[in-house]
Amino acid sequence: MDQPEILTPPPAQVVRVRGFVKQYKQHIAVSGIDLEIHKGEIYGLIGPDGAGKSSLMKAIAGVLTYESGTVEVFETMIDTERAAERVKQRLGFLPQGLGLNLYPDLSVDENIDFFARLRLVPEHELAERKARLLAMTRLDKFRARAMKNLSGGMKQKLGLICTLIHEPELAILDEPTTGVDPVSRRDFWAILAELLQERGMTVLVSTAYMDEAERFHRLSFLSSGKVLASGTPAEVHALVPGSMVTFEATPQLEAISRLKTGCTQVEALGPVLRVFTEDTNPVSAAQAITSYLGDIEPQQLHVDKLDLEDVFVALLLREADQPPPSPELPTASVSSVNHGLAIEAKELIRDFGTFRAVDRVSFQVKPGEIFGLLGANGAGKTTVIKMLNGILPPTGGEGWVAGEDMKTAGGAIKERIGYMSQAFSLYLDLTVEENIRLFAGIYGLDRRATNERFAWIVSMAGLQGYESSLTVRLPMGVRQRLALGCALVHQPRVLFLDEPTSGVDPIGRRHFWDILSRLAREEGVAILITTHYMSEAEHGDHLALMYAGRIVAEGSPAAMKAQVEREAGQLLEVVTDQPGLALRQLERAGFAGIALFGAQLHLLSRDPAQDEVRIRESLASEGLHVLGAAIRPLSLEDVFVHRVMALERRDRETTKGAAA
Amino acid sequence: MNLRRVAAVASKEWREVTRDRMFLLLAFVMPAIWMFVFGYGLVLDVEHISFVVVDRDHSPLSRDYLYRFYQSRYFDFQEALAGEGDADVWLQSGRARAVIIVPEKFQERLLSGQPAEVQTLIDGTFPLRADITKSYVIAINNAFNQELLVDFLARTRGLSRGEAQRRTSPLGIEVRYLYNEEVRSTWSTVPALIMFSLMVGSPLLTALGVVREKETGSIYNIYSATVTRLEFLVGKLIPYVMISAVNVAVLWLMAVLLFAVPFKGSLWLFIASSILFVLTSTGIGLVVSLLVSTQQAALIITVVVSTVPTILFSGLIVPVSSLSRASQFQAHLFPGMYYTNITRGTFLQNVGLAVLWTDILALAIYAVVLGTIGYHLFTKRPRT
Repeated sequence: MDQPEILTPPPAQVVRVRGFVKQYKQHIAVSGIDLEIHKGEIYGLIGPDGAGKSSLMKAIAGVLTYESGTVEVFETMIDTERAAERVKQRLGFLPQGLGLNLYPDLSVDENIDFFARLRLVPEHELAERKARLLAMTRLDKFRARAMKNLSGGMKQKLGLICTLIHEPELAILDEPTTGVDPVSRRDFWAILAELLQERGMTVLVSTAYMDEAERFHRLSFLSSGKVLASGTPAEVHALVPGSMVTFEATPQLEAISRLKTGCTQVEALGPVLRVFTEDTNPVSAAQAITSYLGDIEPQQLHVDKLDLEDVFVALLLREADQPPPSPELPTASVSSVNHGLAIEAKELIRDFGTFRAVDRVSFQVKPGEIFGLLGANGAGKTTVIKMLNGILPPTGGEGWVAGEDMKTAGGAIKERIGYMSQAFSLYLDLTVEENIRLFAGIYGLDRRATNERFAWIVSMAGLQGYESSLTVRLPMGVRQRLALGCALVHQPRVLFLDEPTSGVDPIGRRHFWDILSRLAREEGVAILITTHYMSEAEHGDHLALMYAGRIVAEGSPAAMKAQVEREAGQLLEVVTDQPGLALRQLERAGFAGIALFGAQLHLLSRDPAQDEVRIRESLASEGLHVLGAAIRPLSLEDVFVHRVMALERRDRETTKGAAA
Repeated sequence: MNLRRVAAVASKEWREVTRDRMFLLLAFVMPAIWMFVFGYGLVLDVEHISFVVVDRDHSPLSRDYLYRFYQSRYFDFQEALAGEGDADVWLQSGRARAVIIVPEKFQERLLSGQPAEVQTLIDGTFPLRADITKSYVIAINNAFNQELLVDFLARTRGLSRGEAQRRTSPLGIEVRYLYNEEVRSTWSTVPALIMFSLMVGSPLLTALGVVREKETGSIYNIYSATVTRLEFLVGKLIPYVMISAVNVAVLWLMAVLLFAVPFKGSLWLFIASSILFVLTSTGIGLVVSLLVSTQQAALIITVVVSTVPTILFSGLIVPVSSLSRASQFQAHLFPGMYYTNITRGTFLQNVGLAVLWTDILALAIYAVVLGTIGYHLFTKRPRT
């Protein structure tokens, strides 16, 4: 293995990209990106699907040609296959798609061995590294298990081991956390941070989760093939000065329309409104909002720092040079007002063979309510939706939708249900209009009703100007709204949305949620939505967290957070100069459950004031400096991680108890 | 070339193929099944021709004449009909392929020295079968004539039957069939089926094996690693060549033991040229896989470029020399024909390198050309 020589220190810049352009036939995927990655940092590429992240990463990994610009890796110009070969021994590349680059019929051990031998890792080193990495990722118990039988989180960790088994100096990881549950995601970042610390590795990583941006040392935010912002999280924050004002206001719809006259970002999160203001001073920011609201009195108002996602949205809006079309919800003839529950699941169970995919799931959704079902891929969310839709018969329990038992309900019930699936279920070779008319035809609407609904959908989903475009050419966000329109063509009273926002950019997602909340508030439609974006779940009125087929927590977002704060304490954020060392020191000092976010450490504390003192003392004893400490609001991800960890602890104890 | 990397790729591929039930089936079970099914099913011998008779004479001589047909292994007697009217029904329904009509006064005319004419109706739908049926009828008829003549001479000239026999046919013809002594069609189709089974199975298996990696994205493991193009291609092909080699052995054993086809030639020549052919057929799969990006496309294109020409132009069913000039030209474009020549030559004819060197050279050229194309088509830094 090549040891870094002492006389010639390795270059500080690992990657240098200038004016990078990538074109696929007529389509320009990336147009002119500049990028520099320093040794030893985690560099993040953030952006929605189709932003150009993968193209850029593949070109840096030397596995994709590009049209113009320069890509230098380890001071080698990557312009030919031959040149790319020269640096490949020092690179590790994990392509996109959870576990897709692994070999399903090979065991964990065999997968790792293959990657190691392909890279000529000596056998004795392989054994030692494998043991260490498997122990670190807690996969050592599953060495003989075929990769196809691993869970999503385990596949992701195995993918990471395989990419790093030859100890590359630069690891290029393309969306390693997409679709993985929050616990596994946190685990993943912890493992990566540890390896970074130990090996002095440099990492280039991409993500579609905006909330992961804080974990990077430096980052670039990509949109439609261009960099909108880059730098450290603090530098990116500085690009958009402002603050976020959150409060409750009734009537909400009236409040929103008043705020929209002056504010660019207004979001409804259940009963809470989040409004962006360029004012950084908390007092004047609050005053500005109150003045827009007029006689509506805001309740529980507080002013926070911007999230990076808010910064990105602001940047995107600045780029777009115009505010997003505010959804006009034309009033349709509301057929009937439902009384009672829109959806009720009672002890739903579904087995596939010996595997229990859904385990005694119960919840209720009222008309006009947005109910979020959260969980990782494979948690059982889609199975629940399928049972409530009557597509899949439950093994046990009952599902009631719009007052009908799904077991006995006939085809008539389908007229009251709208369903939008993960894959958007649109016909890509049809135009927007043809798609809408097709769905109208499927639901048996007559000509007059079809025309009426067509006009309604176009205006509701903001499809003006797209009517005769082929669906395949639409941007993801527009395609998603069209799919929503098609699911609403027959005016259902209950709407099921299965992961509707995967891969859509932040503005598109906010626009989509705007439509959903208006549908719920104005038309009284009950909405059941699943998502693995925890930050997005804040929009729901009521949430249920699913883990391994079970509901592990339920309530409104605020109530769930309050519950965790009561049980485990508040979120304390500590900024230090050497976060990796600090993390280890604090773990030695007896602090449990610390998560590393870039330069910051997060932990739950029942007594933040006292803990802060203890932390400062503990770190000072090792010569580490605390640059700042603050109490931060809990995120839903924190709630999920806390709940699942508690559950896993209990499971371990019961199995131990059973074994004893 | 680093052998450790080749071994890594090859052993990974081998494990994947042998653990995937679908691949395992395609690799080892299908070739044997094709051999079994087609070996028994693809019999081109015209035998057991079902026929009906209309005997208008009902004399001892007419019965004697018809009896020769009843006796023949080439004909299967169905029924004696009362009149010609029913014969159409039998022919149309396919229950009979031939009708033999013996006229009235058949015996009377023959004994009185006058010629008689027996009418034969043959189903001409398949010209090959009709021709062969006709030649059987003529042969039986000739034998009957001969005997009538011998009887006549014996009676009129007072010769012994033996003497009369010699006088009537002074010029005998002795036919000896070489190579396929009993003219059994299995002896000729089974060696060609070895070619067929290899030519269908191995390109498909290879193409799917490579395209699968493109589809899932695991090909990026190869792109991003330091393994060279040659190391990857060699490592990737080794398992498929090995599988095909095992199949050659299995198919050879089936030919010799199950179908009792004699193997008269050099086993070494057969093995060596089989390996060349296996390289060629996996090479086809490799080139197809590098041109397409989905398993469906790989499947369709492989079937179009290798299976269909193999059935039509390789000499499996119709000898290449009997094809039209255009088809003969096409036959020379596909490797199947050359290997068919080699298998038939080594199984039945005991011919050696002196005769088969052109076929072997053709296969070698195929293997080299396909390998070179594959090597140049494969890039670790593609455009998309």
